[in-house]
Amino acid sequence: MTLVDQNPAPAEAPEPAPASSARPAIRGNPWLPTPRGVWLVTGIELRRRRPTVKGWIFYGLLVAVILGLGILVAMVSPEGLTSIPLEMVLVLVLGAGMLIAPSLAATSINGDSSEGVLAPLQMTRLTAGDLALGKLLSSWLIAFFVLLTIAPLMVYAFVRSGWHGDELAIVLAAILLVVLTSTAIGLAWSSLAARAVASVSLAHLTTGFLLLGTLLTFVFTQPLVSETVTDSSRYVDYEALTDEQRAAYDSWDWSEVDPATLPCTTDTDPWEYGVAHTERTAWIVLANPVVMIGEMSPIVSYETWEEDGRAAPGLFAEMHASVSGWRIGPSEADLAGQQWDECAMLVADVNGEDYYGGSGGDWEAEQEERSTYDRAPWIGLGVQGVLLLGSIWIVVARLRVPYKKLRQGSRVA
Amino acid sequence: MTATDTIVATSAISAHGVARAFGSVQAVADATLEVRPGTVTALIGPNGCGKTTLMLMLAGLLRPDAGEIRVAGADPRHDSAAVRAAIGWMPDQLGSWDNLTCLQTLTLMGRGYRLHKHEARERGVGLLGMVHLSEFADRPTRVLSRGQKQRLSLARALMNDPQVLLLDEPANGLDPRSRIELRTLVRELAADGKAVLVSSHVLAELDEMVDDAIFMSKGRTLGDEAAAKVADAKRRYRVATLDDAALREVLAEGGVPFDDEPSGVVVRVGSEEEAFQALAWLMSRGVKVHRFGPAGSALEQTYMSMEEERR
Repeated sequence: MTLVDQNPAPAEAPEPAPASSARPAIRGNPWLPTPRGVWLVTGIELRRRRPTVKGWIFYGLLVAVILGLGILVAMVSPEGLTSIPLEMVLVLVLGAGMLIAPSLAATSINGDSSEGVLAPLQMTRLTAGDLALGKLLSSWLIAFFVLLTIAPLMVYAFVRSGWHGDELAIVLAAILLVVLTSTAIGLAWSSLAARAVASVSLAHLTTGFLLLGTLLTFVFTQPLVSETVTDSSRYVDYEALTDEQRAAYDSWDWSEVDPATLPCTTDTDPWEYGVAHTERTAWIVLANPVVMIGEMSPIVSYETWEEDGRAAPGLFAEMHASVSGWRIGPSEADLAGQQWDECAMLVADVNGEDYYGGSGGDWEAEQEERSTYDRAPWIGLGVQGVLLLGSIWIVVARLRVPYKKLRQGSRVA
Repeated sequence: MTATDTIVATSAISAHGVARAFGSVQAVADATLEVRPGTVTALIGPNGCGKTTLMLMLAGLLRPDAGEIRVAGADPRHDSAAVRAAIGWMPDQLGSWDNLTCLQTLTLMGRGYRLHKHEARERGVGLLGMVHLSEFADRPTRVLSRGQKQRLSLARALMNDPQVLLLDEPANGLDPRSRIELRTLVRELAADGKAVLVSSHVLAELDEMVDDAIFMSKGRTLGDEAAAKVADAKRRYRVATLDDAALREVLAEGGVPFDDEPSGVVVRVGSEEEAFQALAWLMSRGVKVHRFGPAGSALEQTYMSMEEERR
């Protein structure tokens, strides 16, 4: 081994590793997250995504545009309370969060793996739980920064909305939960799919299913829960009228003829139609994250909003009313079928009374009942919770080493 | 030395009958190897013979389907975290956080090993000096060349002061000077008592560096057969003369067995002392020797002589 002697002088070896007391022995193969590990992984991920100078300029421009927009809206909007701007801002926060955070998360495991930076971290004392929660938290925090960016606009919108501070806080918490869940879903796809393209699309498809799929499912399942009812409306039997009655009916002149004496008939082949028992399928809609957020928002009564110091019912209140209508389902009158009675209407008309149709429904009372119906966010929250925990479980299971199984077509690294 | 230390001292890595399949592909069929502390062992084989898969299993990143593995006395199946903590692994894939500086990379890795921030930083500074990357300490890793990234990867593998080093193709992309430095460094690490398992294709490189070699082919480690071939290859000396016909005559007369190869005549000598005597004998018989020396890399010869390796 003469060659060794010709080698350049060996470099200084590094100082020996610090006292082993800092590193207690480990047993088994821990996977539970630790606060220290989660924080470290979050820090690493945020540092890696630290914007470049161009990124900061873009961000600055975005903030300027948002502030400008806020000032513009403040100047042109009419006086008085309105909750629409706040609701728009909240929808914006939700939309941006649900687009950005899952996109980031959905490339964060398979992307790291193909870049070769995942396995070196798995070799350290960081557990699968540390990596999973750290990556989840860092993507979510970026969505949180978007929220902070929009905060000035939100403050203005809130002041005019007639909402209370605690109500806004609850809705914001719900939005952040939904964003967190979408992030976790993105991360789970990233741990399952080998390619980043696949996991990003799947993450957005999952979000899309929760948003639109639940509504479509609700609509398409209506025939399954429909009950056939018969139209038993009565009308004046025009063929059987006497000449005198016909003249009165045509000219609407009831001075000679008593409308109560007109012959009435029902259709021999009555029209049949379906009335959906939406109360049985309303839970599908309640699983929708946007509906869940709407259900977390304050209840605004159609009748008493002015006395209550609220703005007129806005987007979320309208949504709550519609959803409540579905939850209540058809009334007994709806199920009895159409019972329009032309003869009764004629009599009421001549006597100067109101006629409410055969169903005798009171539209305003129904509206009021719907608008103030109890909130039902629990199914939506449950779905979010299950998806969140399930996704984290998948991610942790997929990040645990030694691997039993690898993603199809991937290498360890 | 406590009792556990002695057990560890006998073998830092031991693997018996290790196998692993990916779907229908049997990446590692039957691998058996031992690496003692303070030694450097080469893992040699053609592309796709299962070296990286075997290293992943030794590193505790991949679960073997069968076989027994002990690293620093721990079983990766049950005490996988302890195995990983004892290992410095330099992967074949070069990956770095391209937004972060070299020093940040090492510091964060060190903190992953539960070092305190200042300890991790100090150690990072020391290791960057060792791999000659100090001038890049505060520059993002994306500016590094391939060879520099390779050196950063080596520094990263040393962050936890491991007892066992697994180096997967460490010499890839290194310039000649860096290769020699790597060789020196690996020897130094072994002298510190670390067990080193290194895979490489640059066999001449390994000759200078390793104490032991393990050949792998189609997922199997070749045990005694390959070791015998290496031992034989180490005895082979090539004799170059001005007149090869005269040399053959002299050797035949003296009853010395020799290999007549296209590149010249090869004889076998047992030791350096024996080589001296052989040369003196040839000279005394008037053979016009102008070159006399080992017939090239023993590992390379063994590798090339393994017929089944040919692809």
